[in-house]
Amino acid sequence: MRLPKFMSGLGLVALVLAAPAQAAGDLLVAPTRVVLDGARGTEVILNNIDSVPATYRVSLEVRRMNADGTLDEVEPEKATAAEAQALSMITYAPRRVELAPNQPQAIRIGVRSPADLPDGEYRVHMLFRAIPTARSVTETQTTESGLSIALTPIYGVTIPVIIRKGALKATAAIGDARIDRSTGQPELTMSLSREGSRSTYGRIRVLKPGKSAPVFEVRGVAVYPEVNKRAVSFPIDTQTAAQLAGPATVQYLEEADAGGRVIAETQTVIR
Amino acid sequence: MNIRTLKSVAAGSVLALGLVSGAANAATADGTARATILQQVTVTNTSDLQFGTVAIGTGGGAVTIATGGGRTCATTLVCSGATTAAGFSVAGATGMNVGVTVPGSVTLTETGGATMSATLNSSAASLTLAGTAADAFSVGGTLNVGGSQAAGAYAGTFTVTVNYQ
Repeated sequence: MRLPKFMSGLGLVALVLAAPAQAAGDLLVAPTRVVLDGARGTEVILNNIDSVPATYRVSLEVRRMNADGTLDEVEPEKATAAEAQALSMITYAPRRVELAPNQPQAIRIGVRSPADLPDGEYRVHMLFRAIPTARSVTETQTTESGLSIALTPIYGVTIPVIIRKGALKATAAIGDARIDRSTGQPELTMSLSREGSRSTYGRIRVLKPGKSAPVFEVRGVAVYPEVNKRAVSFPIDTQTAAQLAGPATVQYLEEADAGGRVIAETQTVIR
Repeated sequence: MNIRTLKSVAAGSVLALGLVSGAANAATADGTARATILQQVTVTNTSDLQFGTVAIGTGGGAVTIATGGGRTCATTLVCSGATTAAGFSVAGATGMNVGVTVPGSVTLTETGGATMSATLNSSAASLTLAGTAADAFSVGGTLNVGGSQAAGAYAGTFTVTVNYQ
């Protein structure tokens, strides 16, 4: 490798950080949440939306919710008895599929629950992601004095798979709804507390007096049983922040397909 | 219904076709069309994390690629070439709140066994999907180059997951 004179004069070692090979594995997953109440299973569709064939792996992992609502992966050996139970009773296939572009594949999910399974909510997260294509040696070959870097993203989607047994109940409450302006980008923040034997899931919306349509609405917010209270925060634009300020009704509702019931509601003054 | 929802129906239909086609061959059979509209998500990789070209000058140091793609280079290093942050695009049902997880650090290994570490950070820990257009997030990182970093080809992978609650 010929180095420019000023570089060789410094006795430089060139680190050629080569562009990684184009990662393949763009994907579509539907649905994005699975709740099973009985022994009946379901299907999740995985589709290769990339322009080249890709191999995808489907796996189950334990994830726990943190107080800020993020879901952290937990190693299987550190799983609680209930988490291990969930892992062992959910069956799924296929676990590895090679898909041509725009070729969908149904992943079948089944439940094999033991007869003496205690009532409760059992949950795992199903991970869909592509296996990166192996790089050929020539692609990463570099000059003797150089270094090359190939940092390949392996990316995917996790969706919760929840099994409920028995009559489970949960209640939730909304607290501390306010606008946080401390970081420049305004954020609508609040806390959700939960009590009971199951998770809560639904949409959060803010209604203002005199306006029929919600001023703010966000969907897909869960409070899982491992947390009794979590924070939620949503970046908002300054216009929305101005609309939200003042007296408001904040609601946490089930999704329409789950009944649309109001889980929690609070009258507050948002500042 | 937007285009993405239609795609979902199409995906479902392709799977259903295999089951339906047998019945459709019978001339007198009544046709029943059923389509379940599923909420879906697509995740697309739009750019790779590229550190550009780096050469060790007076010693080791750090090369940082911000989530916006810009580079900060230690004075002990000489950096050049184009840089990009890893870009991802997420499209799903309007208003859905999803989390993004990226590992804090990754180790890159050279074929001879030498290693180099990089820390990673994401532009967003969560997204509220706009529905009409894809939402994007990016992953930047800091590569820690040792002063006597062995020459060779360093390779590593990092996992990025979009988490539905």
